[in-house]
Amino acid sequence: MRLPDLGLMACRIILGGLFLVAGLTKAYDPAGFATEIQNYHLVPWVGGVLLALFLPWVEIFAAGALFLKRFQRGALLLISAMLIIYSAALISAMARGLNIDCGCFGRLISSTGIVWALIRNAGLMIPAGILWIFGLRGQARVKNRRR
Amino acid sequence: MKAVRQALWILLAALVPAFLASAFHPKRPAWSEDVLQPGEERLGTVQSWGDSVLWVDARSRKEFDTEHIPNAVLLNLEEWDQLFPAFLDRWQPNQKVVVYCSSLACHMSEEVADRLRRNSVEPVYVLKGGWEAWKSKR
Repeated sequence: MRLPDLGLMACRIILGGLFLVAGLTKAYDPAGFATEIQNYHLVPWVGGVLLALFLPWVEIFAAGALFLKRFQRGALLLISAMLIIYSAALISAMARGLNIDCGCFGRLISSTGIVWALIRNAGLMIPAGILWIFGLRGQARVKNRRR
Repeated sequence: MKAVRQALWILLAALVPAFLASAFHPKRPAWSEDVLQPGEERLGTVQSWGDSVLWVDARSRKEFDTEHIPNAVLLNLEEWDQLFPAFLDRWQPNQKVVVYCSSLACHMSEEVADRLRRNSVEPVYVLKGGWEAWKSKR
């Protein structure tokens, strides 16, 4: 494995690993996660319940798919979208002066405050960006060479 | 376009366990907000238990000092080591403990209730709506 490939694999492990842990902790306690969503006051209770049941599994599947060549683009698209949406929700909570935990890891792992969650999301956008720019471009190059 | 198609497949795959969780998960959320979560009790129910209940205030000391439920014991996670012995002095074995925090939006009461259960304090309940529910009934 060449050095750039190792770097890309490290990005996948960081991004996929974190989303896998986040998804598993929330999938373990969807009722707790529904309450965390409710704390943001962005969606009605039923919407929060649907998200609490669905989102953890999207995170888990997207994290796993990040390691499958066939689904890498889709997984990266979902993870990037989730990072952006979660950050928007955090910023909106901060703007409304809500003093809540981010709920990023459900209730199994002690949550961080909004600011730290935003910093973490910004940090996670770096490996995501690297994978968008170099990971997928690398795949396209290999495909062109095969042709 | 390829990325969107792949993302849709992943979303579809995630629907299966999500659907199963909605039907069978032991910690699945209630579809109605009014339904109690496991370990939660409404104020009316707690009041029907009479004076034998030991109220535990899981909010900050500042909030507790401003106002609290009469005879409540302060016990929060920040000062757990200092406050837990005082709680044990007040609690009688098998006495019902009801923990509350500020409102529906806080979950400190659930964390304190969990820690009490881990310390073999039973039975422990969480007041639905917390201090706000108590105030609104006064």
